[in-house]
Amino acid sequence: MLNLLIIGAGPAGLKAAIAAAEQGLNVKVIDEFPKVGGRLLGQLHQEPNGEWWNGMEMGEKLHQKAIRAGVDIQCEVSVVDISQSVSGWTVYTSQGMIEARKLLLATGATETPIPIPGWTLPGVMSIGAAQVMGNVHRVKPGNTCVIIGANVLSMAIANELRLCGIKVKEIVLPAVGPISKDAGIPEKVLASLMKLTHLAPTVILRQAGKLGKFINPSFAIKYFPRRGIKLFGIPIRLKTAAVEIMGEDHVTGVQTVTISSDGKVIPGSEKVTEADFVCIAGGLAPMSELASIVGCSFKYVQELGGHVPVHNERMQTNVPNLFVAGNITGVESAKVAMAQGKVAGLAIASEWKGKRQEIELALTTAMEEVRKTRAEALIQFQPGISEARDTVYHQFTLDELRMKQEVSVS
Amino acid sequence: MSDEKTIICRCEEVSLKTINDTVYQYSCSSREVKLRTRAGMGYCGGRTCRHVIDTIVADLNQKVITDDIQLSYRPPVRPITFGALGGVYHENESC
Repeated sequence: MLNLLIIGAGPAGLKAAIAAAEQGLNVKVIDEFPKVGGRLLGQLHQEPNGEWWNGMEMGEKLHQKAIRAGVDIQCEVSVVDISQSVSGWTVYTSQGMIEARKLLLATGATETPIPIPGWTLPGVMSIGAAQVMGNVHRVKPGNTCVIIGANVLSMAIANELRLCGIKVKEIVLPAVGPISKDAGIPEKVLASLMKLTHLAPTVILRQAGKLGKFINPSFAIKYFPRRGIKLFGIPIRLKTAAVEIMGEDHVTGVQTVTISSDGKVIPGSEKVTEADFVCIAGGLAPMSELASIVGCSFKYVQELGGHVPVHNERMQTNVPNLFVAGNITGVESAKVAMAQGKVAGLAIASEWKGKRQEIELALTTAMEEVRKTRAEALIQFQPGISEARDTVYHQFTLDELRMKQEVSVS
Repeated sequence: MSDEKTIICRCEEVSLKTINDTVYQYSCSSREVKLRTRAGMGYCGGRTCRHVIDTIVADLNQKVITDDIQLSYRPPVRPITFGALGGVYHENESC
């Protein structure tokens, strides 16, 4: 039986595997994707200091390090069910059963769609799918595209698609409605983009960001040009909304309308932008399915992307011998996921070895590193992450107290 | 935007209009919407549309999304062949 099984070979899972294996644990990592690295594989962007973040290289580095540390890694394995026994965990996969004493879920996040008429046509994909096709499989999803949804992820990937030789015709908003919510309201979108000052892709946005400290976004959006502003030559049109994806048996274009600052359609402004594929950028949500079937309790935290399994700062859940790390605990950058993975790996090793002082010390440093990485994070998917995380840790303490009381009563 | 033309659950082809009508008629939870319309019960097991269903229903009922997960996950959480379920594994037979 394994000491530790990790589900997910992304930044969090690999870092955890290395940390635990270096402490002498017998570790295996499984992943359903054919390649090791998780979402690191698709990432390629320039940081403010001019350096490129090459996720694929980082993934390969972690992969090699894990192998050297003695970690067994297996790809193309999908987990279908998990059960708990007295001795540990039984994990049922597409390739057979795996038994382990401790389990770490590092399954990452999943993309949320924004359904609009025509989104089921061939040629429509999530922004992440286009990224995987281009950067991982080296296949161009098409030649011309429209991106629906203006957020940090779509801006970064738009530039990656451009580097793949794709003409990104425009980034527009989804039409306002119960599904798109704030993502369909120009004023709200600009407000969220303005918070990304250090990442803000163009001088204009950067200026808007600086001004944003003094100027209300509802004022700034009035001056946002209808034609949009350009980022790497790609028009970002915050006052244009996609109402329908056109095509008979494949995408041919997107029908758009001009909208006011609060998302209202301006009559007679319909237009069609031709494109041979369309990307929908609806944002990310923690992938909670496995945590749910093993019986974790959850907290809904909007800032973290949705339902997250309740856990503490040691990445321990309220199910014994079960840990979580990475985007399953809330949507953040790969660097935060890596730092969290190290914490989880050390916390598991510490539990395994009876909380030896030197591991506890390393763990304290690793937890400090998570906080530091978060504070310095260039990609803040949502504001208020640190505060949101505190509510999850607080819930863990409350649940723990409640469970102790229940035990003492019975 | 035409609610009839907006497909929410791709596997079972359930439109936004059907979901809206169901909530208006029965003023129900997302779980009840799932049971009445089959939205989220198709081949993918709701992997694509569950968040959308939750969002629409919470919005229509003017309620906040709760900490408890409304549309429960049930194993197998990935489509799997009977062979693999029974412990028979073949090369090139991923689930």
